Amino acid sequence: MKEQSKGPVRVGVLFSETGVTSTIGRSQLQGTLLAIDEINAAGGVGGREIVPVMYDAQSSPARYAVLAEQLIAQDKVNVIFGCYMSSSRKAVLPVVEKWNKLLFYPTLYEGFEFSNNIIYTGAAPNQNSVQLAEFMTANFGARVYLIGSDYIYPYESNRIMGDLVLQRPGSEKLAERYVPLDAGPADFDALMADIRGQRPSFIFSTVVGDSTAMLYSAYARAGFDPKTMPIASLTTSEAEISQMGWDVAAGHYTSAPYFQSIDSDSNRGCLARLRQRFGSDCVPNLCWEAAYFQMHMFANALRDSEGDEISQIMPQLLGSEFDAPQGRVRIDPSNHHTCLYPRIGRAESTGQFTIVREARRPVHPDPYLVTHSLGDWTAKLHEQA
Amino acid sequence: MRIAVLHPDDSDGRQLTQQLQRIGCQVQAFWPPTPTLPEGVDVVFLAVHPEITQLEFEWARAENPPTCIAVVNYENPTIVETVLRLGAKAVLPAPVRSFGLLSALVIARDVNNEIQCQARRVRKLEAKLVGTRRIAEAKSILMRTRHVTEGQAYDLIRDQAMSKRVTTEEIAAAIINANEILSLGSSPRPPP
Repeated sequence: MKEQSKGPVRVGVLFSETGVTSTIGRSQLQGTLLAIDEINAAGGVGGREIVPVMYDAQSSPARYAVLAEQLIAQDKVNVIFGCYMSSSRKAVLPVVEKWNKLLFYPTLYEGFEFSNNIIYTGAAPNQNSVQLAEFMTANFGARVYLIGSDYIYPYESNRIMGDLVLQRPGSEKLAERYVPLDAGPADFDALMADIRGQRPSFIFSTVVGDSTAMLYSAYARAGFDPKTMPIASLTTSEAEISQMGWDVAAGHYTSAPYFQSIDSDSNRGCLARLRQRFGSDCVPNLCWEAAYFQMHMFANALRDSEGDEISQIMPQLLGSEFDAPQGRVRIDPSNHHTCLYPRIGRAESTGQFTIVREARRPVHPDPYLVTHSLGDWTAKLHEQA
Repeated sequence: MRIAVLHPDDSDGRQLTQQLQRIGCQVQAFWPPTPTLPEGVDVVFLAVHPEITQLEFEWARAENPPTCIAVVNYENPTIVETVLRLGAKAVLPAPVRSFGLLSALVIARDVNNEIQCQARRVRKLEAKLVGTRRIAEAKSILMRTRHVTEGQAYDLIRDQAMSKRVTTEEIAAAIINANEILSLGSSPRPPP
């Protein structure tokens, strides 16, 4: 910061350490704290230490709203890092808009949103759904069976995936089914019985949280073969796989800008530092990575700002770039989303993903899907050698 | 004006009902949304939340439905499609502000009234069109069977209507009916 004033910079950190989405929530928290450690170890921001003020939102949108208000009104933070489910972001959005504060949101979501008070560092649908539809229909066929958790992100994501798949010849949407966020084995066994009769080319899952493991386990119990009818997902990351068991996940596909297996020095270094800081039980994933790099982007912007008020820091953030573990990312000045590198990974029995397709150039975020036809060159991924 | 607010009892719901009361409306609030509405409701404010996108509302499909104003907190196609399906005439974004509500209410009411007026007018015009077509057909029947001119055929129809105190359209319909019955068994003629 230009003005070397005052004490530490306090920032709000709002993830779910308990509840149905706590596995991802804890990893996002670890990504955030790792970045803060690195920033502080390197001398902070203009000599000022970054100090997180943390609360556990317990996977409850109502708690998110209350705690966001508390962070701003009582703890006096100007910037909040947090949220996972869309419902949690929607709960915090009116709070940050009311107080004119800034939220960094490190999660993929269904798109169709822009707020002057939010920076979105996860994938928009044109950075994961379009590539996944292209890959799955080209390799397995275009008869899709959609399963999701019962809330807005799956409704909208399934709608987008359905529209994309139906652009293919011979395509068919066999079913669109929703299960509660706390669904159990019986819910999924019933779906598997239906799938046995329908024989889709692939299953598209927008199941999130703890029930993700139930879906893949039910699939394994049903004795289906991922080689001919895999599950494709945008949210089944290394974290969810650690919950279901590596064998259960093997052979299924996920589209994400980040996998642990990315072969780069910057990724390997970051993972090593994470393990050193949190031990081996942390499970890095796409949302962890977004939580990690967004904190660094904040710190870099803060270095060039007069202070951490949104009006001071936003001009520095927009258009800024950072060498993230996934590659060099950039915040798009016009829509506040991030230029990312779409990838397709196939889960292996080691708990890791083999990256089978990868974008060579970053893909610009298009949250309102202005262009989203299959075959668009921006959706083209390259086969990994 | 009688208003039903189908919105959760949260800060937005309270903001909505209070502002409606301030501007002189009678407000009743319900949540979860009820399939039917109390009698005589002029306007419905409906929170189009993700969890209600699958619900069906009878009142939205009624012949003269109350004016529907959607309150939305998502702007994605799933929600937009629901708003269209419900026939909303205006949209209020959440968080709800008191400013703008009156304008939305006035515009939505006006649009709803205009649509209902147009619908009545269209129904009337359609009836008129059918009637005109019938008179033409009845005239041609009379011209054929009675060997009269078009003007004379019309005079016959009009005189009958006046003496029986019914419309010319009704007389025309009676002539067409009678002709159909009388011509049973005979070879059908191609229409003139």
